[in-house]
Amino acid sequence: MPWYLYLALKQLFPSGKRFPFFTAISVLSVALGVALLVLVLGVMGGFGAQIRRMIVDTQGDVQVRSSSFIEHPHKVLAEIEKVPGVAAATPFAEGVVMIENENKPAYPSIEGIDVNRIEKVIPLRKYIRAGSLDDLDDDSTILSYELADSIGAHLGSRIEVYTPLILEKLKRDEIVLPRVLKVVGILEIGHQQLDSSVMICTLRTMQDLYGLGNAVHGINIRLKPGVDADAAAARLNASFSADSGLRAKSWYEINKDFLWVLQLEKNMMLFIMLFVVLVAAFLTMSLLLVLVLKKTREIGLFAALGAERREVALCFCLQGVAVGVVGTAVGMVLGFTLLHFRNDAVELLTRFTGSKQVLERFYQFNQLPAHSDPRDIVIIILSAMLLSTLAGLVPALIASRMKPVDALRSE
Amino acid sequence: MADPIISARALFKSFPSGDRRIEVLRGVDLDVSAGESVSIRGESGSGKSTLLNLFAALDAPDSGEIVWDGSATLAPRRRGALIGIVFQSFYLVPELDARANVLMPSRIAGKVDRESRARADALLAKVGLAERLHHLPNQLSGGERQRVALARALMNRPKLILADEPTGNLDEHTGEAVMELLLGLCAETSTALVLVTHNAVHAARTSRRVRLHDGRFVAVE
Repeated sequence: MPWYLYLALKQLFPSGKRFPFFTAISVLSVALGVALLVLVLGVMGGFGAQIRRMIVDTQGDVQVRSSSFIEHPHKVLAEIEKVPGVAAATPFAEGVVMIENENKPAYPSIEGIDVNRIEKVIPLRKYIRAGSLDDLDDDSTILSYELADSIGAHLGSRIEVYTPLILEKLKRDEIVLPRVLKVVGILEIGHQQLDSSVMICTLRTMQDLYGLGNAVHGINIRLKPGVDADAAAARLNASFSADSGLRAKSWYEINKDFLWVLQLEKNMMLFIMLFVVLVAAFLTMSLLLVLVLKKTREIGLFAALGAERREVALCFCLQGVAVGVVGTAVGMVLGFTLLHFRNDAVELLTRFTGSKQVLERFYQFNQLPAHSDPRDIVIIILSAMLLSTLAGLVPALIASRMKPVDALRSE
Repeated sequence: MADPIISARALFKSFPSGDRRIEVLRGVDLDVSAGESVSIRGESGSGKSTLLNLFAALDAPDSGEIVWDGSATLAPRRRGALIGIVFQSFYLVPELDARANVLMPSRIAGKVDRESRARADALLAKVGLAERLHHLPNQLSGGERQRVALARALMNRPKLILADEPTGNLDEHTGEAVMELLLGLCAETSTALVLVTHNAVHAARTSRRVRLHDGRFVAVE
């Protein structure tokens, strides 16, 4: 081991000292900065990943829509399923209705699904909290749980459904009765906005409610594992005839603006949080500067013993690097530990502050999600290492520029 | 006579002091050969330590020439191999134990192996610190620290030892013991010694004695 590395490590971790104060403070400052970055980016990444998962879970990988309606969905479905990479497809019809139960109204989004095909594309069954998807027929519905709560509906409740078509008929003084649907399932997706405003019925019921005949609004597509959604969408578009009016879009393209905002928010957070590591690096630098002043005579001694200037510089620079390495490692462990226990921490915090409802309403999730992107981890490691190295560089340059004779004479 | 290990000719050195310069050395000549010991005495501020710094190539003269073992230049690595330095204030690395401090010159030269470790142990044994190998400097007395510094100076088998008031921080008895060791070890290994000292008794034990006054050697015995 070169002497400058040996001495750098000995000065950071001296023999016989269990708790080297300088090292502990420097390492801790870098570790806290890194842990904070891991935690914040992990949670931000978790929000992003959860939103992406939710989008893919509720929309499929690719969605095909027409400029008007898809009049012959079965023909289009057959055409879609022939395209390479497509695993399954399911038609849907959507809209907004007014529902009422025990004189409590609500205005949810409604989606008509093909019960025979839906599970191949959208894992709806895993979100059913009560009841069963198997019970869904043309006279029943599944409500999201907050929506059900808001109108006092539960399994077995019969709710009245009013559609824009009914309103049109009312305008013409026709007497129409609302459609009555039995609640056979309660849905919980885990996203507050969806959980408070979604109802599901069969495609046939939706086509009746909206007077669509056999038409649907679109087709959701699940791709085979590993197939790129954008590439698959391009293949689908190439397979449609020009006059079909059909257009396939990947889930990424549909939500491009939203996902861009999410990414921007995460990048901004990374940028801001890097200042925490920068502050830690400044602390390390100031501690190393103190060390250089304290070690001035030794710097002269090393020169007297035959050390080159660059080796003296390396000795101090490596201390910055070592603080960076150890601080980053400790920070990673601390960060991932905090990330692991994040929900317990939030639970504890909200129990004391009584803010659980507010948190759910504001952040849309009932659990704090986490997802650490390897790219983020690489950025954190490199940033912490780079800043710690730079922190060691300034004292190193000062040390290397000292004239040995002046260093030895210093008081 | 053998070629000198160090040969200084017409050394001049001055330092700035306000708007003028103080001339510390005004034409110093000195040759020291292998096995020879030379003591330099003089009043405080007479330039003894400055001269030693020039000999160690830690500072450069304003004019004049120094030749180290046949070469007019002394790069850091060669300095570490050719010269061992003993300071008044010991200058041990506080984070390293006695053995690691003695090994430092070897480590800087990039030659730490079983043989060098054995030599460090042998040197420490020679200076009477065989039982203190793993003691940190703050666990050693002043005399013990200077003995570690002495062992360190001899570690790379230098041809020349420069000792700058090595007993200056020690009591008389300990100083005597350290000086005994220094002279004995130099004689044993035929290492040339340049000793800067205020102590006339210690100076008297060297083979040649010079006095620095007003920047020049005024008496060479």
